[in-house]
Amino acid sequence: MSHVNATTFTIVVVLFLVVTLTGFAAARWRRAEDMMHLNEWGLAGRGFGTFITWFMLGGDVYTAYTYVAVPALVFGSGAIGMFAVSYTIMVYPIAIIFLPRLWSVSRVHNYVTPADFIRGRYGSRGLSLAAAFTGILALMPYIALQLVGIQAVLTVMGVGTSSNNTFVKNVPLFVAFIVLAVFTYVSGLRAPALISFIKDTLVYVMVLVAVFYIPTKLGGWGHIFGTAQTHFTSINPATKKPYGTFIPPSKALGNTQLDFATLSLGSAMALFLYPHTITGALASKRRYVVKRNMSLLPIYSILLGLIALLGYMALADKTTVANVKSHDGNAQLAVPFLFQHMFPSWFAGVVFGAVVIGALVPAAIMAIAAANLFTRNIFKEFFKPDATPRLETRVSQWVSLVVKFGALLFAVELPHTFAINLQLLGGVWILQVAPMLVGGLFTRWFDRWALLAGWLAGMLFGTIAAYKSSSPTVSHWASSSDIEFGHTVYIGLSAVIINLVIAVILSVIFRALKVPQGADETLPHQYTVDPVSGPAVPTPAGVGPATAGAVGDLPQLFITTVVPPVATLHRARGLPASRPLPKGDPCRTNGHPGGFVRHEYPCRTRTLRLTPKNHPSLFSYWVVASLVWHRYLGMVARTPLRSRRSMACRQCSRCLAGTFFRCMTRR
Amino acid sequence: MTQPAVQRTNPVRAHPWISATIALLIFGCIFCTLYVPIYASITPKAGDFPFFYFYLLAYMPVVAIALWIVMQLQKRLGVDGTDSGEEGK
Repeated sequence: MSHVNATTFTIVVVLFLVVTLTGFAAARWRRAEDMMHLNEWGLAGRGFGTFITWFMLGGDVYTAYTYVAVPALVFGSGAIGMFAVSYTIMVYPIAIIFLPRLWSVSRVHNYVTPADFIRGRYGSRGLSLAAAFTGILALMPYIALQLVGIQAVLTVMGVGTSSNNTFVKNVPLFVAFIVLAVFTYVSGLRAPALISFIKDTLVYVMVLVAVFYIPTKLGGWGHIFGTAQTHFTSINPATKKPYGTFIPPSKALGNTQLDFATLSLGSAMALFLYPHTITGALASKRRYVVKRNMSLLPIYSILLGLIALLGYMALADKTTVANVKSHDGNAQLAVPFLFQHMFPSWFAGVVFGAVVIGALVPAAIMAIAAANLFTRNIFKEFFKPDATPRLETRVSQWVSLVVKFGALLFAVELPHTFAINLQLLGGVWILQVAPMLVGGLFTRWFDRWALLAGWLAGMLFGTIAAYKSSSPTVSHWASSSDIEFGHTVYIGLSAVIINLVIAVILSVIFRALKVPQGADETLPHQYTVDPVSGPAVPTPAGVGPATAGAVGDLPQLFITTVVPPVATLHRARGLPASRPLPKGDPCRTNGHPGGFVRHEYPCRTRTLRLTPKNHPSLFSYWVVASLVWHRYLGMVARTPLRSRRSMACRQCSRCLAGTFFRCMTRR
Repeated sequence: MTQPAVQRTNPVRAHPWISATIALLIFGCIFCTLYVPIYASITPKAGDFPFFYFYLLAYMPVVAIALWIVMQLQKRLGVDGTDSGEEGK
């Protein structure tokens, strides 16, 4: 600690304390009556509007590693590093095609994770398990990489560098992640959402000051680009090849335009398949919020473009280049060293604080997403099918701790080059979910076994190809690109094409053989609905989406609520509108008076916009029911939406308003 | 509890030009980034910025505007937000 600048260190610590307090205070922000529900803990009540979603998704997508690694790649290899800018341009036009559909169907059916949707769409536990496994697998190294970002800052600050003991050296990292783990446990998704305001503000300040100030110190943009061009066209004596590329060349193997394009496209396709970005999107309160953010988030990408150019600024600054060389040529340190050299210590402290906070926000969301995947699609699906929402939340909280500490060990113990390349492999893995998730949002044509076979083939191909890739310094996991048919392409894209081809061919075969397809619990119109009320969210004490459908909205003509029109569902499936339940059925034992939901059919919920015009009888019943409920029982007649795919009304026993309503309509 | 099924026409079929515009805007946004030869050159420079870097930075607001137009057009198509309570498929 002898070389630590006191001012810089103090500012980083103060910012960290502010963030810690904010994280704990977030538990009271948009307070829920019962935090022990995954919709509250894991999705913050699904109530975020455009503004909060923009900050949160920005904080979620653009991580600390982005601030450190993207300019590091530009610093080390040149134009290929700009693929990150290219892919963040493409990601939103791609996401706007499928993300609103995923939001809608998830809202209607109370899906918390993408694997929930896959389970409901294909009626396949195996496919859902594959998606959950892939999501967790891809997220682990991603969380670890946030720590690598923090470590880069700590190294430049000189914290812990004097000790050879791994534990002592990483004490600040342990402290940061213990605090992160605790406030995530307590506040859930609310914590990173609130902290992302601080993070994004700091990052904007950092980047805008840097792009206006540093070029004036380095002789202008012309000099910066000139230095980069000279450097990347010169020959590296060690490899006898150019150091990098200033503009992606159209020919020759290496950093070609095709590599650039496939890397961009593959990464863009992968980004909104990651569970943590989907978690961020599902937390928004309306479908239009998701769409609106797709057009607003490119503003954040401008920031990324400017951040990437910090790599060239570092290259033009001789002191930074010398500092990086003195640290074994670790390019991850280029940006922290640049800021340390260019700015007074107090501003360097602000920047380092921004990077540290920028690591904590996405790491928290990633841990929550991984925990939700485990709880919903592994624990509940295979070990405890009758888990209550409270138990689900408790398990998620503990798993989020385990995930974070697993990532911590990952970051501390494994060599960083290994971790960084595993992150690239994470993109390869998560892309294999695309056919089942994105395909499933548009068609039910694919066979579940075909998708599983395609997924397996894609995962194997991608993993083996990435493992085999080597460089002069690294024998395995050296790159995420491979040579296919004489062209360098992103492994993830090749793997997903193989995955898709197998899924299509096997689907044709299985359909011809009339292999059972599994029950699809979704309906076509559910992919475009925009329900105001959330599904089965505990009644919030304060603001939030859940109040929108409450009885307080009765004066409004349009009441959007969620009720289970079982008869309608049965009609849609060609079943009798009403059937008595067998004795011992959980619906009956759970107090559904004269329930008529068949045990083997899901107690599906639907979203109805009730107006006197389109549903006269339903509307009048609802008004009476709501008033009675509100007036005499003193409860808010907000009907929770519950979507269950099996065991019918097991969970609907909590749905008192729904029960009451069915009772009324039956009479 | 009679609930008349609302038969809705396919919005894409009902508004072919709007649908085509939406598709064009979305795929145009992707294509103009994906097809690297469009912008993989140093010239023409914009100030001190080589064209490759300037293009990538300048294209982002274009995408933002294009997607905002897509959102507005989709409202006109009525594919979302309007059917939150409808029964029809």
